[in-house]
Amino acid sequence: MKLTAFGDIFPKLSGAQSEGVKRIFGIFLLLLVVYVATAILNPNFIGPYNQENLIRRTSLFGIMGIGVALVIITGGIDLSLGSVVCLVGVGVPWLIMDQGWPPWLALIVALAVPLLIGLCHGLLVTKLRLQPFIVTLCGLLIYRGVTRGFTGDQTAGFGNELKGLRWIANGEIPLFPGFGIPFPAIILIVIAILAGIFLNRTIYGRYLLALGNNEEAARFSGINTDRMITLAYVICSGLAGLAGLLFVLDLNLAQPVDFGNFYELYAIAAAVLGGCSLRGGSGTILGVIIGTALLRVLRNMMNMAFLGFQRAEFAVIGAVILGGVIADELAKRAVARKLSAQKDRERRSKQERLPPN
Amino acid sequence: MGKRFPGVRALNDVSLKLDKGEVLAVLGENGAGKSTLMKILAGVQAADEGEVFMEGKPVEIAGVNDALEQGIALIHQELNMATNLSVGANIFLGREPRKRGLIDETALLEKAKRYLEMVGLEVDPQEILGNLALGRQQLVEIAKALSVKARVLIMDEPTSSLSQNETETLFGVIKDLRGRGVSIIYISHRLGEAKELADRVMVLRDGENAGDLAKEEIDHDAMVRLMVGREISEFYSRTIHEPGEVALEVRRLRTSAHPEHELNFSLRAGEVVGMAGLVGAGRTEMLAALFGVAPLRGGEIYLRGAKADLQSPNDAIRCGLALVPEDRKLQGLILEMTVRQNLGLAILKQESPYGLFLNEVREGEISRQMMAQMQIKTPSSRQVVRYLSGGNQQKVVLGKWLALEPRVLLLDEPTRGIDVGAKQEIYGLMEDLAARGVAILFVSSEMEEVLGMSDRVLVMHEGRLTGELPRDRLSEEAVMQLAIGNTRAA
Amino acid sequence: MKVFSSFFLYAGLATLALGPAGCGGGSDSGGGDEARYAYVTNGVDPFWTIAESGVRAAAADLQVHADVLMPAAGAVEQKSMLEDLMTRGTTGIAVSPIDAANQTDFLNQVAEQTILITHDSDAPDSNRRIYIGMDNYDAGRECGKLVKEALPDGGSIMILIGRMEQDNARRRRQGVIDELLDRSHDPSRFDPPGSQIAGEKFTILGTLTDQFDRAKAKANAEDTLARNPDISGMVGLFAYNPPLILEALEQAGRLKEVKVIAFDEADRTLQGIVDGDVYGTVVQNPYLYGYRSIEVLKAIHEGGETGADENGFINIEARKIKKDNVEAFWADLKKNLGKE
Repeated sequence: MKLTAFGDIFPKLSGAQSEGVKRIFGIFLLLLVVYVATAILNPNFIGPYNQENLIRRTSLFGIMGIGVALVIITGGIDLSLGSVVCLVGVGVPWLIMDQGWPPWLALIVALAVPLLIGLCHGLLVTKLRLQPFIVTLCGLLIYRGVTRGFTGDQTAGFGNELKGLRWIANGEIPLFPGFGIPFPAIILIVIAILAGIFLNRTIYGRYLLALGNNEEAARFSGINTDRMITLAYVICSGLAGLAGLLFVLDLNLAQPVDFGNFYELYAIAAAVLGGCSLRGGSGTILGVIIGTALLRVLRNMMNMAFLGFQRAEFAVIGAVILGGVIADELAKRAVARKLSAQKDRERRSKQERLPPN
Repeated sequence: MGKRFPGVRALNDVSLKLDKGEVLAVLGENGAGKSTLMKILAGVQAADEGEVFMEGKPVEIAGVNDALEQGIALIHQELNMATNLSVGANIFLGREPRKRGLIDETALLEKAKRYLEMVGLEVDPQEILGNLALGRQQLVEIAKALSVKARVLIMDEPTSSLSQNETETLFGVIKDLRGRGVSIIYISHRLGEAKELADRVMVLRDGENAGDLAKEEIDHDAMVRLMVGREISEFYSRTIHEPGEVALEVRRLRTSAHPEHELNFSLRAGEVVGMAGLVGAGRTEMLAALFGVAPLRGGEIYLRGAKADLQSPNDAIRCGLALVPEDRKLQGLILEMTVRQNLGLAILKQESPYGLFLNEVREGEISRQMMAQMQIKTPSSRQVVRYLSGGNQQKVVLGKWLALEPRVLLLDEPTRGIDVGAKQEIYGLMEDLAARGVAILFVSSEMEEVLGMSDRVLVMHEGRLTGELPRDRLSEEAVMQLAIGNTRAA
Repeated sequence: MKVFSSFFLYAGLATLALGPAGCGGGSDSGGGDEARYAYVTNGVDPFWTIAESGVRAAAADLQVHADVLMPAAGAVEQKSMLEDLMTRGTTGIAVSPIDAANQTDFLNQVAEQTILITHDSDAPDSNRRIYIGMDNYDAGRECGKLVKEALPDGGSIMILIGRMEQDNARRRRQGVIDELLDRSHDPSRFDPPGSQIAGEKFTILGTLTDQFDRAKAKANAEDTLARNPDISGMVGLFAYNPPLILEALEQAGRLKEVKVIAFDEADRTLQGIVDGDVYGTVVQNPYLYGYRSIEVLKAIHEGGETGADENGFINIEARKIKKDNVEAFWADLKKNLGKE
């Protein structure tokens, strides 16, 4: 009976989702192990300052992860995130500082443009039936190229201006002396709760999961699958734009040539670590956040505890992710074996009870 | 030649003996263990205990290649081929004739042609497999099995997607092979086929031997009795009702599959209309167009006298239509979701507060109600649908639509690949629904079912409606004549 | 599976997105001279924008044609840019090699076909004619002197840098370390980046690289503060490092408390000097790199005098900018960039 314990704890989840919950549990354990190990290796790791930093980084990258998770749930992929981060991250300071736009107008444009980009992706994927991989790969090229074009490849930043606006990315809400909740964490929590409600408590979330698993059957069930898929791309690009804005507000400088470079891969890795299947149909918001946190803690760990091995950083991260995925798969198989053994026992005992006819 | 398998998990101490040149029909409800047994024989799965003897000598079958070496070939229930490759390439996949290390294309095509002829299939071996109809693909798979010079040929539901013509061709091939000393294990749900083909019938029930029938003992009732373990008195129980007003009328409907033909027919409330025809006659495409899944090329649809504009499944649902599609795994179910979620999928929107939030309470009520009404056998409403048997899966698809209380129910091969017990339950449901005034149009390739269940039969041939037969003029002969396009005979 | 099979396509095209910058940014002020010169940088950076204006000015003054090319995707792209230039036919090339040690053979090939000089970062083993720049080792030692001035009693410092593969980066860092440890003048010395090096007064905690990922660069600064709360100074050796160190310090509320010693002349760095948040910076003169490169290429082409020493080195000295001279320097910089 132990095997069904997870199902009992989360009775309202679907099969795919409760599977996701089990994956979250595994990844959460991994996060815990890395966390505790780093803390032992360097006690400064658990200091409030470092925790604040980790929370802020997780929040910034997590916002992107949630967006791409929704797209991955539909069975698609979005490779253009890093370039959308670049477009917005460079575009906003460029509009305000170089072009002299009022900040409110620049912000509206910065949030509207990614939504339009997402709409284009969605329509190309659903109406023209282009593969998401290609559509967003071209997006990756186009948005970075466009950004480099209109800025003339110049670094953009706010200088000493707009300290108030920048607070939303680097400010914090003090809890006790020496520690506060970074404001981006508040943004992430709000987005995560909204996304969680959307995915688990609205019919559209259910539709998204259904069509990610079987688009054809979803369509036969009267679901407007095209609209749902488009919506996922719009949300994804929109959140990438928001993340880009927060990144530049935090860093105060953005370089068209490589700002946000490869961030789409961090987001996708976090989503997959957090239980999203690239085949679509499964994923949880909490998992994405834990996956993001794991990636950020790993990078932090290299600086905190293994300074001499910095060059091996990517190798370590890659190995940990791969190890996590392998362990998860092995655990799943072990559970499946136990289940079938249990079924077998039940069958045998049933047969013993019934007299042969 | 003999084989024994005591104590497999899905199988319990099952023994099977097959003589040279014998056609053995293996029957059983879904989940009885037929497919597992065959997969073990073919080396796809491993047996936990037991031995296999070929011509008295024990042999070990650890993998597909071992089985092939012993001359055992399996034709899968669900097609298992590379649809993106050519017919010839599929037949010789992994065993391509070679010349100087490269594939000898000429020899391959020539040989492929020979095996295709043996199954009576006239296709170019260079044709891409995926371009063939499902039924013809199956014949290619049989040709592939023949090409390995199999001594034991295992066919798992080979006719489930074949048309009458193709089935007859296949039967000819089987009889021909038997004459040449090939032993054949034939698994089917179709009792009529077992009766026609088998030298002996072996029945499995719950993973155990339920009994054998020698050739002279084979009859319909005896087989059913062994399979379900009880007597089935009336298989098709139809009470004929007086049909009500016209529920659905189709005028000059043209589908994109056969835009050159116009379809005209109507359906009355409480009527069960069968739609017969060969595979590829355009019946599925017609249903898809009606339901808004495939685009309409022209024509009008009237629902209870009012013209309806059905652009999408959503429109169709709103107008009281429901479609149980042909392929329940691809089109009917979200396999990774639970029974409950599948049952609620179509009705969610109607029951949703503000058209946005999930109504879990109603979802639970609906699923409980449908599980009871449909007698869906599942350990829990939270069981993932993938793990249900075919029959129960089909009931989930039906339940999803019945929750919406449709006025017109379109069924596409509603009993394909499901066991006898579940079949009968679905027939019972159709009967009940008709009695409650639902108009039912069902497409079926199973003659028995068409004849048994229909108040009226429409027959299609190559995209064209070739005729309509009221119940009193129904006969296998009449339906077949129309299905092959011979309109004068009917 | 489709997703994975397309991965290589992704990787390939992603690199392409980082593709050439500033191509065709040439000035067409050439008179009757058929000569075409090219100025190839090691990346895309405001630093190179200043150099570009130097190139433009020289091209206008000398009536020649000059292109500025900025590879955004590292050594591979720089190589293909040079190949394309040779294919097209170029009179002379000034390049800042990204990976001098491994590009030697290739640079020799280039030198066979055209006039090759290096700027900013040298390729000492190659057959380049001339190197225009500063000695990064010496500049690093200057930077080290700034650290000593800022922290007269010594202390612990962290070095933050973009990457270590470049000759100039390596030498610059080594200069800082050697100066702080009062070692002899030896540019060939190399301390591995991960190890902590303790001298009499100064302890170098380590060297952190970020491979040009800005978020990572900031995270490095933050992690340094978390790991070593009592650190006395941070040295940012690539142009964007000091601004991001300042961001990290500002958020941690530790500006002025931890000394920042900078390299190069990012606006934020100069503003930091004005505000007292940065002790000082060592600046090169990219404008002169650009201007002199074209001048020297033309001189070699026409057989004139280049003014190089016996090693083919033209020294353009690094300057130390502190509070007392920052205003004048900044004004001059803006003038060169045409901003004012």
